[in-house]
Amino acid sequence: MAAAALRDQLTALLSSMFSQGLVDEQFQQLQMLQDEGGTPGFVSEVVTLFCDDADRIINEIATLLEQPVVNFDKVDAYVHQLKGSSASVGAQKVKFTCMQFRQFCQDKSRDGCLMALAVVRNDFYDLRNKFQTMLQLEQQIQAYDPKQQ
Amino acid sequence: MGAEAVRVLVVDDSPVDRRVVELLLRAHCGGGGGAAAGEAAPFHVTAVDSGKKAMELLGRRRGDRDHLTPSSPAAAAAANDQAIDIVLTDYCMPEMTGYDLLKAIKALGSPNPIPVVVMSSENEPQRISRCLTAGAEDFILKPLKMNDVQRLRKCSGATRPKSAVAGDDDRCCNTAKKAAAAAAATPEQQQQQQRSSHLAGLAMVMNASSFEVSHYFQLIFKLILLAYAVLCLSQLLHRWSNGSSLLSLWCA
Repeated sequence: MAAAALRDQLTALLSSMFSQGLVDEQFQQLQMLQDEGGTPGFVSEVVTLFCDDADRIINEIATLLEQPVVNFDKVDAYVHQLKGSSASVGAQKVKFTCMQFRQFCQDKSRDGCLMALAVVRNDFYDLRNKFQTMLQLEQQIQAYDPKQQ
Repeated sequence: MGAEAVRVLVVDDSPVDRRVVELLLRAHCGGGGGAAAGEAAPFHVTAVDSGKKAMELLGRRRGDRDHLTPSSPAAAAAANDQAIDIVLTDYCMPEMTGYDLLKAIKALGSPNPIPVVVMSSENEPQRISRCLTAGAEDFILKPLKMNDVQRLRKCSGATRPKSAVAGDDDRCCNTAKKAAAAAAATPEQQQQQQRSSHLAGLAMVMNASSFEVSHYFQLIFKLILLAYAVLCLSQLLHRWSNGSSLLSLWCA
């Protein structure tokens, strides 16, 4: 019974993430592949990879923007990486903010970049929280599973 | 034909992308096979994070074949096992871009060049045409989708006829190769190897040309038919508008 309730909770969380535009079809496709392709734990692996990667990139960008002379090309390269990673995972909102971020990089506006960094960071932390909740729910469901069988 | 694994070398600097591509490829043979289980060969994925490492891997393989083959057949077999059927590379990478890698692979100058598919998140026509003119088999937009994997399979299939058409030749050569190795006849072996690759190349060319000719023939035939139909119709309309009876049509 408890497992079913957890599963409902997970489904509700995923559909709310989708309806809020945090994630897109790409994420759904990954989930579908995991369920159909018989590769359990794949989504959690990719999500964890993405979170670590994005965290690292955001920190790199922050240090670059703190320099007295900002190398905007380097910042742009990092934002491009982050955009690619979020597109692969299906983190739609982070992807969109990255696209706006790149515009500021091209304009070579430090203030614009700092603002965009704050937005990206905010969006990413928001998504990461949701992902963590998702992973916890999945773990709890898995812990229930063997007992049921 | 047995479902021989398609060996893919994935080159991408992003760890996330590498894993996602790997899963897509793996899932395609596991879940996607379904009805065509016999036809859909599984993908064997090797992933590296830079063009340099990819070249090292490909170069090592070549080196093995060039230097070790004459001395030990076991090394040759190992090198063959490591062979790559198709390279799937990201475009945007630090140091060595996908475009550089593509050119480097094409510059290897092997008789049977490895097909390269470039993927990028940017839909830049200039970039795409640049890669295609440099010899890329296809250009896929990221993030990869399931039907992109189908395209990739087709690209790797471009060299598959080698195993389908000249498969028997290959196998003959393989056994002959082993025998030759046992007899320690190295020059013969090399010749045979060259001959087999030559045969494979020929089969590929023949396959490609026959496919294209039949394709164009169909198109031309359809065009002629269409032109004839239009001509007939205009004649018919012309006669009817002249007010003559249907009979005159047949008499004319």
